[in-house]
Amino acid sequence: MTPFNSLPFDVREPAWLWLCVLVPILVPATWRSLSGLEPARRALAIAVRSLLVILIALCLAGIERVRRKDDLTVLFLMDRSHSVEALQNFQEDFIRKAAETIPSTDRLGLIDFARQPFLQQLPMPGGFFIAPGRLPPMQNTDRTDVASAVRLAMAIFPHDTAKRIVLMSDGNDNMGDLLSEAQRAKSDGIPIDVVPLRYQRRNEVYFERMVAPAYAEPGEQAPIRMSIHSHQPAKAKLQVVHNGRMVDLPPEDAQVALEPGSNSYYVKLPVGQAGTQTYEATLTFDDDSMDTVALNNSATAFSFVAGESPVLIVTSDPDNDSVLVNALRGEHVLCEMKTPDQLGDFGLVQMLNYASIVLSNIPAASFSDQQQRELTAYVKEMGSGLIMLGGPESFGAGGWIGSPVEEVMPVSFEIKQKRVIPRGALVLIMHSCEIDRGNYWAKEMAKKSVDTVSSRDYLGVLSYTYSPGGENWEVPLDVAANKAAIKARIDRLQNGDMPDFDRTMQMAYDGLVKGKGADAAQKHVILLSDGDAQPPSPKLLQDYADAKITVSTIGIGWGVHVMERTLVDIARTTGGRYYPAKNPNELPQIFSKESTVIQRPLIIEEPFQPQLLRGASELLGGLRAGELGLPALGGMVLTEAKKDPNVLIPIVRATDDGQDPVLAFWQYELGKTVAFTSGYWPSWGKQWTPWDRFAKFWAQIVRWTLRQESPANFDTRVKIDGNRGTVIIDALDKDGTYLNNLQLQSNLVGPETKPIPGRFVQTAPGHYEMQFDVEKSGHYLAGVRIFDRGRFIGNLRTGLSVSYSPEYGDLTPNEALLRQVADATGGRWLDIAPEKAEVFKHDLPPVESKQPAWEWLLAWVFLPAFLLDVAIRRLASWLALSLCIELVLLVVLLFGLELQYHRGGVAGSIILAELVGWSIRFRYIGPLFQSLTHGVTALARTGERSEASLQQLKGAKDRARSALQQGADAPPADATSREAERRESTPLPKDVAGRRFDVASTDRAAPATDLHDALGGAKTAKPATPQPAAPPPGKPGEDESTTSRLLRAKRRTQDRKDEP
Amino acid sequence: MTPPRADQEPRHRSSTDTNPWPNASANLRTTLVVSLLSSLACDRPPMTDSGVIAIFGGVGLGNGSFSYPRAITAEPDGSIFVVDKTGRIQRFNAGGEFELLWRMPETEKGKPVGLAVHPDGRLFVADTHYHRVMVFDRDGHALASFGGDGTSDGQFLLPTDVAFDAAGFIYVGEYQGNDRITKWSPDLQFVASLADAPIDGKRLSRPTGLKIDDEQTLWIADACNHRVVRLNLDGSVVNVFGGFGSEPGEMRYPYDLSISPAKEIMVCEYEGNRLQWFTKEGRSLRTWGRSGRRPGELFAPWGATYGPHGRVYVVDSLNARVQIIQP
Repeated sequence: MTPFNSLPFDVREPAWLWLCVLVPILVPATWRSLSGLEPARRALAIAVRSLLVILIALCLAGIERVRRKDDLTVLFLMDRSHSVEALQNFQEDFIRKAAETIPSTDRLGLIDFARQPFLQQLPMPGGFFIAPGRLPPMQNTDRTDVASAVRLAMAIFPHDTAKRIVLMSDGNDNMGDLLSEAQRAKSDGIPIDVVPLRYQRRNEVYFERMVAPAYAEPGEQAPIRMSIHSHQPAKAKLQVVHNGRMVDLPPEDAQVALEPGSNSYYVKLPVGQAGTQTYEATLTFDDDSMDTVALNNSATAFSFVAGESPVLIVTSDPDNDSVLVNALRGEHVLCEMKTPDQLGDFGLVQMLNYASIVLSNIPAASFSDQQQRELTAYVKEMGSGLIMLGGPESFGAGGWIGSPVEEVMPVSFEIKQKRVIPRGALVLIMHSCEIDRGNYWAKEMAKKSVDTVSSRDYLGVLSYTYSPGGENWEVPLDVAANKAAIKARIDRLQNGDMPDFDRTMQMAYDGLVKGKGADAAQKHVILLSDGDAQPPSPKLLQDYADAKITVSTIGIGWGVHVMERTLVDIARTTGGRYYPAKNPNELPQIFSKESTVIQRPLIIEEPFQPQLLRGASELLGGLRAGELGLPALGGMVLTEAKKDPNVLIPIVRATDDGQDPVLAFWQYELGKTVAFTSGYWPSWGKQWTPWDRFAKFWAQIVRWTLRQESPANFDTRVKIDGNRGTVIIDALDKDGTYLNNLQLQSNLVGPETKPIPGRFVQTAPGHYEMQFDVEKSGHYLAGVRIFDRGRFIGNLRTGLSVSYSPEYGDLTPNEALLRQVADATGGRWLDIAPEKAEVFKHDLPPVESKQPAWEWLLAWVFLPAFLLDVAIRRLASWLALSLCIELVLLVVLLFGLELQYHRGGVAGSIILAELVGWSIRFRYIGPLFQSLTHGVTALARTGERSEASLQQLKGAKDRARSALQQGADAPPADATSREAERRESTPLPKDVAGRRFDVASTDRAAPATDLHDALGGAKTAKPATPQPAAPPPGKPGEDESTTSRLLRAKRRTQDRKDEP
Repeated sequence: MTPPRADQEPRHRSSTDTNPWPNASANLRTTLVVSLLSSLACDRPPMTDSGVIAIFGGVGLGNGSFSYPRAITAEPDGSIFVVDKTGRIQRFNAGGEFELLWRMPETEKGKPVGLAVHPDGRLFVADTHYHRVMVFDRDGHALASFGGDGTSDGQFLLPTDVAFDAAGFIYVGEYQGNDRITKWSPDLQFVASLADAPIDGKRLSRPTGLKIDDEQTLWIADACNHRVVRLNLDGSVVNVFGGFGSEPGEMRYPYDLSISPAKEIMVCEYEGNRLQWFTKEGRSLRTWGRSGRRPGELFAPWGATYGPHGRVYVVDSLNARVQIIQP
């Protein structure tokens, strides 16, 4: 620490300060150049110039103001994960008691965390303001991510105080990287004090693992191994569910007696048909005291069974679609038919039971967002097929616009370029919701609905926003061309407390009937509210009904608080629907369903002749459909072919202004998808089912999409170790020789269908491994394609199940990690009572905050100094200069130092400026003042002059005269030179001056010359000659006045001039 | 060394500081220009701050701060109570200094929008979203509650405000299709239902403010009809005035009203962002306030009341503060 560390300023680039060496050079140079100035000014000018140079140096060096404060902000990080659920009160009490010692300048904040951190109290002075038991319930307690909490803490610390984190946790951190975050905290100088949370679990039974073979052959008995850990001898019942069906275990397997430590169990289960086999084992206890944490009492595993997988046909009308099922079966295609309700738990693992899925007139609302993403992964990563068949509930008309599935289909569901299609118009009315996060969800849903409308449709958003004057078109009713901008606008929306629905609904009505939405074919309003505004007038609702504008109402209150009466009334009167949203997860489906209302114009219901385009494609090859002619169709859903060369469109509906795809297909990444925008059921395709090529047509399409199964017969295993999963493949050929240098391409999908990066690395002869992060519990599925020198030799699928989060495992506090964190950051180990913890101890170095000061310096010091420099040299008058200095000083004090805002600052500034000004003016008026005072004194004394003093003066004069006479007796050799000498020496010596008008002087020549000079007369070159005597003097001195003497002298001069 | 700059550290200024450019010296040019201009303008009074004595509150969850305060009431010569959208009731002294805080017992469904002090000192809270009225003592101890969800006698649908007559009867307003005033006995028993028929052609629509004057007539802020209704306590109509608009005599969502010591009717306009005084006959006398965030300006005020020393306390909801004015 250098002594400069305590200075209140700092510079960024100190090298510029070398400019200051110019000052010593400048001083002598300026001294000479300013030699015309009087010394005081010169010194001032040089001082100001030196100051200017120093200021320039400081500005260039980037001077900064440094403020040091030893105020402290303490952020408590409170662990609220499952493992320390019982210790929440302890933690709150700790904070409360620690807060009692908070100094008034310090601040306290609270972040609680489990999977995510939440800020519960901003750093505030005064203490801990959350009342006991008032912390909101924590979601997602199945993980602990301390690192993210530390990161959030570092982000919200105020910059101008010292910082301390107090971490309260059991150290079971199972997400993120706490130690590297601690390193970051250390580099920011933030110590992490640790309050260890301790607990001990006594009775606990949990699944260590459950293993099923990665691959199995149909018909074989798959060995399922389970490892169960128990702390104490316990009796439990084991249940195994295979593919959703309970397995009837023999009694000796079903009743298990557990010994302390690990217990292994082994059951053999017959493998069913080809596809994915899922197994789930669960332990139950007769005596509940045997176990503490229930969430770790079950485990899942799955294996793949080789063989031909069936095709799944999802339909909401099994009667109609049985035609297709029968036709496919007739063509020896294995298939199953299910309604959306029969799908049950339909995740990616279940989807993989099928080689291809056909969605026959299924609306998007039948699948959750997660399922839609899984369908996408099923195609993209898992290489399966997806066929979407048309119908009034399908494609754009079925709410699929903007869904993840649209990405994998060969057609886009919204019509961007198409000519005259009637538009839809949707108005969203947002009312503020009383419940927590109600407005947030209302906004999320509004954004979702923006996604689901077509960009050709009209969309408007109305809300009550206080300015200007209440109801407002937040998004004016217009074509929803720029969806991103609309969503951004919705994000910024500040929902006000709408007093009644009447005025907003009136605005929506006007917009839809008289405004932009007037030409829309379908008009719909969605009202998001908790229903506590005043209901609209019955007349307005009747107007809506008359104009065929439907209003759907969505009650956002999760069933806790919704005033349903009004919302139900509005929906019923206008022909809309009322949705009581019970939880946020329901909302996406509601919106998909609602947005289909305005997508009805996408449905064309008129007969047309589908046309087979030239060039038989691989899809319809050998069908010779063109020769026979395709049967006519009675309707379709409008879509638009994607602009991608891979998209092929063999069948279209030709119209005057273009071709609409009827059949389109492509390969997208590993999978294949087909869109058939019409249908074969009676209303749209009654001539299709009797068509003799119907079965062949569909069988060919479905076969093209089937997932290619060419299993590479390699030994595949998976294992999980902490947060890392590993897939191991041992590649041997038929003769048992290792296959080296294979290229293994893997597509790995995690529980939230997010692709997970992972790459196979060969680690030994024929031995390949891929590692990946396991962050969440659920299924991890990998599709692996194997190439040998670029030649595809087969594929295989594998995966693993993470049954439960490590949070539910057998945990003991991980104090080693916590100690490491405390040690790494210089924090303390606060295993003591909160009163003694001294969390607000001011033992941290004070915080420096630096603010650039050069602008201020330039504006308020350099500029005034520069003006002064000019003024000093240019303003001749000291009075003007002093006024200038005074003014500059006043401006700097008032506005530069902003004393104008301080009490008495204005008066103080004026006084200071005046003081400086007057002290300068004193120099100017000082002499004036002196002469004034002198004059006054002299005048005053004139009258009082005593005779004695006159006599004294006379005596002095006489003495002087005699002295002069003596001098005249020995006159200088050259009178002219003496005269010249006298002229040069100004001012005249007093003694000579005193006698200059003295006519009695014997030396007449000298005074005469003097007077001549004094009166500015012409100089004579000739030597002075004695003049005729003047009239005899009377009494010199007191008798003669100065005027008379002057007059006499003048006359003499005149006489001299007149001399020839 | 370097003096404080306006944009770097908030200076503490008095609440009536009206420097219109708080971030003055953001850069050199604006520093120069703005400083000069502000020196000329710094003593310019805001257009309507006449009479603002003090302002208290501010956004926050700490003591003395508010998050969207929505109702206010005053003891005749004592404290002020304010409830905000976190369901906290705070008591302040007449000067706006914080005294006490308590929370409503339940807030999950929603929070109260009406408060009234009974002449005997009890605080009646219209616990709107729980369809009941709760009674507290002045220190926040719950004493009783009455009402319940429903439209029949003895039940409420979103109660809004409470008023008391000289005989100790209690009057409660409600809305959402059940727009009426119900009368309750001093021992909290249902007595009668008033104003449940059209008044001057229209039924009450969201009666959010109730007051009973010395002449024992009931004044109602009929918010969604943008009018004020005066009733006798038997329910008969005395007079009605108002109408939607921003001109004097008109109003935009009158959410609250109060009666001045001079027996004028002060109406607080939620959307009009002003207070308006009327004679008992409905002649507009004057207005105060305009929309904005500075002193003397209002942003969606939910309530206003006359308090100690004839001062008016306005709940400036979206500015999260209470302004005290001497009208």
